[in-house]
Amino acid sequence: MTPTGTTRPTRPTTSAVKTISQGNHDAGANPLRVILRAFLTIWSVPKARIGVALLGVFVLLAVFAPLLAPYGATDNSFDRSEDMSAAHWLGTTAAGQDVLSQIIYGARVSVFVGFVAGLLSTIIAVLIGLSWGYLRGLAGDVINFIVNLFLVIPALPLMIVIAAYLQNGGIGMIVLVVVITGWAWGARVLRSQTQSLRSRDFVTAAVFSGESPARIVFREILPNMTSLIVGSFFGASTAAILAEAGLEFLGLGDSTTVSWGTMLFWAQNSNALLTGQWVLLFAPGLCISLLATSMSLINFGVDGLSNPRLREGATR
Amino acid sequence: MSLVSVQGLSVVYEPNGAEPVPAVKAVSFDLEQGDFVGLVGESGSGKSTLGFALTGLSRPPARVSAGSIIFDGVDIAGLTPSQLRVQRHGGFAMVLQSGMNALNPVRSIRNHFFDIFAAHGHVSTRDREARAAELVGKVQLPASVLDRFSGELSGGMRQRVSIALALSLEPRLMVFDEPTTALDVLVQHAVMDTIRELQKSERFTAVLISHDLGMVLEVTERVMVMHDGLIVEDATAAEILAAPQHPYTRMLLSHYGDPRAAVVEVPGLASRGTERATDVAQAVAGGAPVGEPVESQGEPVESQGEPVETPVGEPAPSAPTAVTVRKREGRAARESIVVSGVSKVYPRPSRRDQPVTAVNDVSFTLEPGASMALVGASGSGKSTIAKLITGVEHPTSGTITFGDLRIDTIRRRQLKRLHTEVQMVFQDPYAALNPLHTVEYALTRPVLNYSSLRGRDARRRVLELLETVGLTPVEQFAARLPHQLSGGQRQRVVIARALASDPQVIIADEPVSMLDVSLRAGVLALLDSLRETWGVSMLYITHDLLSARLVTDQIMVLNKGSVVEEGRTATVLQNPQDEYTIRLLDAIPAPRSGAKGGSRHPQESSKKGLRPPATVPTSSPPATVPTSSPPATVPTSLTSPRSPS
Repeated sequence: MTPTGTTRPTRPTTSAVKTISQGNHDAGANPLRVILRAFLTIWSVPKARIGVALLGVFVLLAVFAPLLAPYGATDNSFDRSEDMSAAHWLGTTAAGQDVLSQIIYGARVSVFVGFVAGLLSTIIAVLIGLSWGYLRGLAGDVINFIVNLFLVIPALPLMIVIAAYLQNGGIGMIVLVVVITGWAWGARVLRSQTQSLRSRDFVTAAVFSGESPARIVFREILPNMTSLIVGSFFGASTAAILAEAGLEFLGLGDSTTVSWGTMLFWAQNSNALLTGQWVLLFAPGLCISLLATSMSLINFGVDGLSNPRLREGATR
Repeated sequence: MSLVSVQGLSVVYEPNGAEPVPAVKAVSFDLEQGDFVGLVGESGSGKSTLGFALTGLSRPPARVSAGSIIFDGVDIAGLTPSQLRVQRHGGFAMVLQSGMNALNPVRSIRNHFFDIFAAHGHVSTRDREARAAELVGKVQLPASVLDRFSGELSGGMRQRVSIALALSLEPRLMVFDEPTTALDVLVQHAVMDTIRELQKSERFTAVLISHDLGMVLEVTERVMVMHDGLIVEDATAAEILAAPQHPYTRMLLSHYGDPRAAVVEVPGLASRGTERATDVAQAVAGGAPVGEPVESQGEPVESQGEPVETPVGEPAPSAPTAVTVRKREGRAARESIVVSGVSKVYPRPSRRDQPVTAVNDVSFTLEPGASMALVGASGSGKSTIAKLITGVEHPTSGTITFGDLRIDTIRRRQLKRLHTEVQMVFQDPYAALNPLHTVEYALTRPVLNYSSLRGRDARRRVLELLETVGLTPVEQFAARLPHQLSGGQRQRVVIARALASDPQVIIADEPVSMLDVSLRAGVLALLDSLRETWGVSMLYITHDLLSARLVTDQIMVLNKGSVVEEGRTATVLQNPQDEYTIRLLDAIPAPRSGAKGGSRHPQESSKKGLRPPATVPTSSPPATVPTSSPPATVPTSLTSPRSPS
């Protein structure tokens, strides 16, 4: 089939929206096929391929932690502050725990928080962003005020304040804090896209078809911005992973759970750098950045989902 | 030796992960110094691709796969980008369709010129100002525009600036890619005149790429007609007018007519003159243009592997066979839309500006079964009127009623009731359908929303609608996604959706302006036949007077929000009173008038027309109302406090 975009020079082609819809042109009715095609598009970008592989490794680590870890995560029956050895590949902590096992178990928290907090903040961002973009008048102004409020408040201090109030609430608390501080940016992005889509003729046509506003937003507009939503999910996940580690490092989480953030917290407490155990700081830090990087790399592929022109190698 | 010699040039599109598509297939031609050549074709014919290749602007996924472009002895198909850039000075330049968007909004026009001068170093720093002023002078702009930013200029001015920018390197070959398509009708004409005069005075070789054969024939000396990647005809404009050789050219030509003529006809669309302006029509019966036989028209149109478009003029669009006169059980009686004294003032966009009066004291009545045209250039307020009538926006003053429903103060909740009776056909069929939903979904939704039909009944109704608009086999079309349809088919789906609620009124906002010429007649014929068989009334909004003449009985000409002329379409167009109407009529390219580059004065050009209306007493009032078709018998009077002229 002739690509309509390239061989139709007589039509004014201006908006970026158009290319987005073109990217979704091929989407069939079958959702499974859509997902498969989306995955293949992401996979076709080399950077994203690395990201997918990395993320896959971390997810597998998290799921099969009990099988992969040589020792229990909280088992402190070993010698303290040991260096790397055959028995303890990455040494032991000041409390006598195996570092490698902690890293492997720690992946569970990071991956869990990343997915759950990312998903929740994306859902909130979609709900608020779309209705905010579609509604006009007073309701829109009210949402505008609230979102701007969340955008102006610096996220980290807000997180610290909230976390300090909910002393030692564990992972659930951290997810809550991350979601509260993390949804506004996504909402803003989705809102601007909604606003540009709502002026499209097919939305007006849906009004003429007698559709209700909710249906227009979720059946007509939402499917046209799938890629944006996916992108915003990975963005939110990355932010959530970093925020979780940050909060735990500051000691605002439950310091008895085993996660990369608490590992950093304890390593800092035991002056690991001074004692020469740089691995204690280095290993969890590397894992956090690798996990965040994998998400960012996947987002390169998501760009291609939304806009065929951004597909690598398409223009050069 | 000729300036440009193209030999066996082929261009292919090689998109990522898709089959390569040939866009230009082994094309050969020569251009002499000072030629003014038109390159005509419909969308997808490869004309723009060829234009880009000529100026060395082909970019991936497009690739010159074979052949050579010898420009002044150098094959530019094989040049590297940096060699090409040097070549552009005194070489070739291109003016793009959206050239008005090619200007950087944060740099003044002067900076645009200076950038080019600096890049090529052919103008000394001292002379830059004078040279820039001289260039804008050539495109008939005052030197003061140099201080402006692109946002402060109108579309026509911006396009002139981009022409002046292209001229700044003294090119010997200029390629104009649809230079006026994005402009308003009246501006189009002025910009075209500028281009023509420039070409005469500067003597550069010009290639004018356009979909509008009429305009090209009027402006250029030689015309190349492209179809499906091939140049199917290459002849002088006069030869093409007098004796077109290729059936495709003949088909394109047959779709032009003069709305001022007594009888206006394009293939696939019955003459309006003979049916309705009875008094006029019978006088000149034999003057209709020689249309192609119906069968041969559809054939060349189908191209590019697009889905098969129902050939124009096939029985399908004329729906009477499928649906006879509609019964409207349990529905409101047929009502007319009464617009009286309506004005719409938009608040001033910024503190410095004045409030914008989009519509100023407009009154009219759209009777049941009537068809009325609302014409005007862009900014005349015609689309605002559509928004007001459909309740999308509220008027600042005045009333709009539909039966007992007050549209001017309608609430969101009542909108659904209004849209049951008043539906809309959108301008751009490419934007009016959600790319992710099948045709069946698009049609099922209004059926479910507006009728009590459910399940199998609803589906039957959807298929019935598809049949009405001539998309058969219906089952196949129902399952398609919009991108699997051609433009004409999409517009039929849009029309079917508008019909789904069984409305009394259809507002058609430029329904064919985005379609290729060959598809227009089919869609217009469909709209016209629906009006007759379903008894719906139609408000046809357009800037295209020819199509207005073809499908409407009444006309209202809008200028700056006010009605400047109204009356029967045939009468108004044949005997326009207001100067604005005359200007609109003049802006229409009329290849058949034969007056190439000649005077465009209405009297003169109508004398030169093939079908001289001068022999017809155009001013005589419509004597009898035809009794043949029932909907047409409805007295379609314009009740307006304002009198024309």
